[in-house]
Amino acid sequence: MRDFVVVGLSHRTAPVEVRERLAVSPERLESELRDIVASTGLEEALLISTCNRVELYATSDDPARALARARETLRARLPSDTSDDVLYSERGIAVVRHAFRVASSLDSLVVGEPQILGQVKEAYDAAKGAGTSGTLLGRCFSQSFSTAKRVRNETGIAEGTVSVSSIASELAKKIFGHLDGRTTLLLGAGEMGEAAARSLRQTGTQLHVTNRSEDRAQALAASCGGRAVPYEQLTTELATADVVIASTGSPKFILTPELMRGVVRSRRHRPLFIIDIAVPRDVDPRVGSMDNVFVYDVDDLQQVAEENLAVRAREAADAERIIEEEVDSFLAWRRSLELAPTIVALRRRFGAVADEELKRAMSRLEGLSPADQAVLEGMARSLVNKLLHQPMTQLKAGAAEPDGSYLIDAVRRLFGLQDQVQNEPAAEPEPSGEATPTSLAAAAVGSSGKPK
Amino acid sequence: MKSGLFIATAVLYAIACVLYLVLLTRRADSMRRLPGTVFVMALGGHIAFLTLESSAPVEFPLGDMAQVLSVSSLGIGIAFLLASYRFDVTVLGAFVVPVALMLFLASGLGSDYVPVSAQVESAMLTLHIGANILGLVAFALAFGAGVAYVLQERLLRRRQLGGLFQRLPALDVLDTIGLRAVLTGFPLLTFGMVTGTFWLLRGDSGGFFISQALGLIAWAIFAAVIVLRVAAGWQGRKAAIGTILGFLCTLLVLAGYVVRAAVGNA
Repeated sequence: MRDFVVVGLSHRTAPVEVRERLAVSPERLESELRDIVASTGLEEALLISTCNRVELYATSDDPARALARARETLRARLPSDTSDDVLYSERGIAVVRHAFRVASSLDSLVVGEPQILGQVKEAYDAAKGAGTSGTLLGRCFSQSFSTAKRVRNETGIAEGTVSVSSIASELAKKIFGHLDGRTTLLLGAGEMGEAAARSLRQTGTQLHVTNRSEDRAQALAASCGGRAVPYEQLTTELATADVVIASTGSPKFILTPELMRGVVRSRRHRPLFIIDIAVPRDVDPRVGSMDNVFVYDVDDLQQVAEENLAVRAREAADAERIIEEEVDSFLAWRRSLELAPTIVALRRRFGAVADEELKRAMSRLEGLSPADQAVLEGMARSLVNKLLHQPMTQLKAGAAEPDGSYLIDAVRRLFGLQDQVQNEPAAEPEPSGEATPTSLAAAAVGSSGKPK
Repeated sequence: MKSGLFIATAVLYAIACVLYLVLLTRRADSMRRLPGTVFVMALGGHIAFLTLESSAPVEFPLGDMAQVLSVSSLGIGIAFLLASYRFDVTVLGAFVVPVALMLFLASGLGSDYVPVSAQVESAMLTLHIGANILGLVAFALAFGAGVAYVLQERLLRRRQLGGLFQRLPALDVLDTIGLRAVLTGFPLLTFGMVTGTFWLLRGDSGGFFISQALGLIAWAIFAAVIVLRVAAGWQGRKAAIGTILGFLCTLLVLAGYVVRAAVGNA
């Protein structure tokens, strides 16, 4: 019975020290996949490796064994003192659902983050390149991409930014348009300020760092790719900067209205975006009401992050509904894949019985004229057709129903069609033989391996 | 035929207005291109209508108040399309397209206006009106950008960073559009003012006074916006509000002409 399995670990089950041991760099994915397939005998394999998850997807005619082998493969790479519990596994249609949820960023650390889809695509390309992706994984992952697209377009799961530092750079973009060639001034050496400065630096701004302690400014500038400027030049720096990130440890306000009035004049009223990450605050609240000066403090940013997360959580419910629709459509596809060979096998089985009995009867009835023989043959044929008519109609109609795979499976068992179907090359949609459909009972029931 | 086309065009403009508003206020990724498509159809209808219209004998081009309004509306539409491709600010349609619709409807109300004035030199009059129309078009764009700026700035200050804030363009982009449009419109308006005053001094049409005064106010507002922008680096909200006020004054001037033409007709 060809079925899906997945084994993996993610931010839900394993700390980063464990995850990084399993991570595979994108350029090594293909060779890694070839090794895994060669050593485990899995029919299809696909490896997703990101900083938050490592998962091995596979299909096999013997899912139970495949699951064990896949588990061993990953287990062997874990540090020896790690508990087995970090690895979870799924079987059957639960694997497809999981793949859809991962690609749609529903299983991500930050729900709705956009990078995961690209990483899943990379993993799929690697599997195609290594030749380890066949009909089932191919269909599963190409459908996961369209599912992710639907989730993105039909729900608000990706709306709004949810980390404080990226919210800061999003806001800066909404004020200045593009950030290329703008200047960010990092004032003070707080940790959050550093993160926000890095995030802004990535958008193409120049970074100036200033701090009361010159050494600390130098070190910070070096680590963030910025330039240290003397603290005495604060006023001139404020006049040229576009974004100011304040994160000093000062107990008093540093950017006071008196200071800022002069700054605004010398800036000729160009907009200034001040992010006050310091606690206690560095910026006098009155500065925020000055024209063309926008001040956001850490609470504001945190609140935006929480609102956006709440929106995403609401939208995630809609997304789960889309996932279920897509899983249903995947099951329908698998059923259509096995319906045709089942029908052929059923006809063949009945035909074979009729032929056999006909031959036996013919050998007993001597001296039949060709016309009599034709009558007998015709009778046998129409007997088969009439007996099969009703079951065929029911099968075709029933296979389209959500639990159609039970019906197909029941027919196979009742008439002992398992072997016939597997040795039925003519009815296969793919010449490789990878699509040989077997019972989907396990798939329809759901996972047999529970996540640990 | 002509009135049917007029109604069809007006309906298309109205639908485009609604669609642009939906684009601004709702998450509607699936219909991103729809408002633009309907709007282009409306512009097509408008051009067809103008072509039919101009086949009727007119004493000189743009001599008819209805035609001035209609051409202004078309100009605003085309300028908005160009700007929205150049700056990727399709959502501004929610502010600009209603202005175009309003002018278009106004042009329909006065389809039997008499020519503004018959005794002035026609070539100069055409230039005067043409410059004023182009100025109006530029200011309408500046107006749309200004309204969006004021709205966006308010959302940013009140920390309302939801969908509307996300869909509106960046402040800097809006400010740039506003500045460029005002810089384009101002010389045209100045030319219109000078030629208009010239006739006012020569002619004896005392009824012009209110329109002229409003025109002068609009001109002064735009002049102030530009001087403060260039000389004092004044930008942002105040500049946007100034631009909005200036445009509203310009609209009042236009309304004055419409009323005058209607009264003159009666």
